[in-house]
Amino acid sequence: MAKRKVALGLVGSTLDAGHGGKRWTRWRPTVALAAQPDLRFDRIELLHQPHSERLAEQLVADIADVSPETEVRLHPLPLNDAWDLEEVYAALHGFARGYPFKRSEDYLVHITTGTHVAQICLFLLTEARYLPARLVQTSPPPRRSDSIVGTHRVIDLDLSRYDRLARRFEAEQVEARSFLKQGIATRNAAFNRLIDRIEQVATATREPILLMGPTGAGKSALARRIFELKERRGQVEGPFVAVNCATLRGEMAKSALFGHTKGAYTGAASERPGLLRSADRGVLFLDEIGELGLEEQAMLLRALELKRFYPVGADHEVGSDFQLFAGTNRALRQAAREGRFREDLLARIDLWTFELPGLADRAEDVEPNLEFELERASERLGRRISINREARKRFLELAAGAPWHANFRDLSAAVLRMGTLAPGGRIDTAGVRDEFERLERSWSGDEGAPGGRVVEALGAEGAAELDRFDRVQLEDVLAVCARARSVSDAGRTLFAASRRRRRSTNDADRLRKYLARFGLKFPGVPAD
Amino acid sequence: MSELIEIDGAEGEGGGQVVRTSLALSVATGRPVRVRNVRARRGRPGLLRQHLTALEAAAEVSGARVEGASLGSRCVALYPSGRVAHGSYRFSVGTAGSAPLVLHTVVPGLLAHPGESQIVVEGGTDNPAAPPSRFLTEVWAPRVRQLGVQLDVEVPRRGFFPAGGGRLEVSLRVPERLEAFEIHARGALREARAIATLSRLPARVGERELDELARALDGALPPTVARLEEIPDPRGPGNVLSLALHADSGVEVFSAFGAKGKPAEAVAREVAAEATRWLASGAPVGEHQADQLVLLLALAGGGSFTTVRPSLHTRTQLALIPRFLDVELTLDEDPVEDRARVTVRPRG
Repeated sequence: MAKRKVALGLVGSTLDAGHGGKRWTRWRPTVALAAQPDLRFDRIELLHQPHSERLAEQLVADIADVSPETEVRLHPLPLNDAWDLEEVYAALHGFARGYPFKRSEDYLVHITTGTHVAQICLFLLTEARYLPARLVQTSPPPRRSDSIVGTHRVIDLDLSRYDRLARRFEAEQVEARSFLKQGIATRNAAFNRLIDRIEQVATATREPILLMGPTGAGKSALARRIFELKERRGQVEGPFVAVNCATLRGEMAKSALFGHTKGAYTGAASERPGLLRSADRGVLFLDEIGELGLEEQAMLLRALELKRFYPVGADHEVGSDFQLFAGTNRALRQAAREGRFREDLLARIDLWTFELPGLADRAEDVEPNLEFELERASERLGRRISINREARKRFLELAAGAPWHANFRDLSAAVLRMGTLAPGGRIDTAGVRDEFERLERSWSGDEGAPGGRVVEALGAEGAAELDRFDRVQLEDVLAVCARARSVSDAGRTLFAASRRRRRSTNDADRLRKYLARFGLKFPGVPAD
Repeated sequence: MSELIEIDGAEGEGGGQVVRTSLALSVATGRPVRVRNVRARRGRPGLLRQHLTALEAAAEVSGARVEGASLGSRCVALYPSGRVAHGSYRFSVGTAGSAPLVLHTVVPGLLAHPGESQIVVEGGTDNPAAPPSRFLTEVWAPRVRQLGVQLDVEVPRRGFFPAGGGRLEVSLRVPERLEAFEIHARGALREARAIATLSRLPARVGERELDELARALDGALPPTVARLEEIPDPRGPGNVLSLALHADSGVEVFSAFGAKGKPAEAVAREVAAEATRWLASGAPVGEHQADQLVLLLALAGGGSFTTVRPSLHTRTQLALIPRFLDVELTLDEDPVEDRARVTVRPRG
């Protein structure tokens, strides 16, 4: 049994008007709706202002002529101001709430008549499903035409029903996912689900996003890609500003983040805007946010909530509207329990939290990432790096059981090293075997070759210039630095024996000087 | 239940007539029919409101189950229950769609079953895309009566396109047996009656039409009565010029509709051209009458008539009817003259 068709519409005080015979020579939307040769209504519910009653009754008579099958019911709808959005919406909403909609009827809301405000309200009520209907719009016949009927179009606001649109959105989503994954066709289902979710959230929110994961899981790269995706969608205007909080210490940390005024302290020769202000209308990525001092944490929380803060030494607040991405490789909740991280800040940034799995948990993604790293190594080394079939097979076998302590950082360094050493840029089984020996040693703490950290800090070529004697030492120092909370903390660990003999007075300084010899600063990054 | 008859709606004229005739014959014979490619050759294919009304009307009188009874449907089917019920019916056609065309569907269906019916159809009585109400009352109704049927057609209110609002009232008494008949000789022309019908238009328009018609047919007609007819309680503007020619063989009506921007004289010349062709052919049955007459005679199981060279509509009827009825239809076209003879015989 076909559903009964019911139209809901407003009497158009101008378009529907006309009492003389001439009215039959004009297109009148409500009458034309009833006269569509390919649309038949069993009933039309016609809402009208009390002062339009005579016109409404005329329409009832005229519809009876053009469409004797159609019953017309009039509903007075008193409005003081038909252009007042609030009043019109309330009136129509009231009508919709009181109307006995039935499953056996198919409703069409006619949006051609009424003030623009009324049309907008009908649209909104339909979109919100207060009116469980589709929209119908009537259009006049061409000029000089004999007809007064014109045409109609039915518009269904349920976007999921528009196949082509749905396909396009689907395609865009796939593209966005691929974008977030840097074009790497990852296979790990959990990771792919995570990326889908990030894509949804990232493009929908301006709230903080927290990326958790072990070192080398790809937090920084992902943060940048999310930003780039938002940028492509026109959702950010400002820049991407990234900083590793482990490199921010003491008074300098405050100044680096929040800026300072000229003369705020000794050495503050000029004003500094600070990273928060640089990220205005963009994204601020604070990696290793757990390394931030408690005072900075408090200031950051305030800046997040008010979008305003005081630079060091300033009397006046400055504003910055940035979206915060935070990265952490630590159990931040544990840190909060132990009082090392503010609970309130954690609550503020722990809204959209994504845990990136390590490479060891994504064994099926080693191969697609191997492809990606080969490309990257080719770019960095300036020659084509490839791997032969046997070697690839061997590599994947060995990779499947490997612990990958530094995750993608390990993988990236491994491929770069193999590529650097491969004769003619073609990695063979011998190269793979040597590399895994190296990796195993680094994972067991016994390294005889440049480790991942040295390569990461100095680049493959830089690392290759070091004597083995220095490489081993530097690798261990960097490993300690990476685990340490501050340069002093690292110094205490590295010079523990000296400290016991009270020979060393300034471990931190000693460590800084050691790192500076390699052009590095704490915790192991190039000193520009 | 007899086998389903499959009709390709794209064949022949490929429009609403294939649907209407198929429905009428299905009701008449009780044989189920399915029409695919409904109105395939029209700009807006599928069922429009007047066709849907015809389908629903056919279903109602035959107690049929229907498929595809929705606007825009490209495939419709009618499964008559086997019991056609005479009675009181009321059908409505919105959009000033043609009420006469609904009668052309329902009445032939009922003619195969003895009984009495009263039928009211609301809608357009005079729609440019269909024969006007005057054709119905002065040409079609007398032919139906000639079958031995008692038929009364009243038009209490005219409804012009696009406002509609018209009304047809029909009372019908179908005998046990229909009588076949033959119409070949036109005989003498007795009189001509021209009517310019006006709805909400100045009398001048009708006067110009009548003047031009008289001029165009000067000398070809017997004494002509010409008059203006103004519609009481008119809706929208509308105009039809019709000329009824009374011959010994019966009445033939020629008509044309006025339209916005179309001079009154052009309307008159259309009527004159059609009448002139008929006059010259010597055939008693005009092009539009032939479409209906072949269906009526087929229902009677025999008869014959001479007409002008058949239109695509008539040829479509000739092809469609034998799919339902056990009749043989032959068409003999005069190789020289604008004339053809249509004969209906029982098959076998």
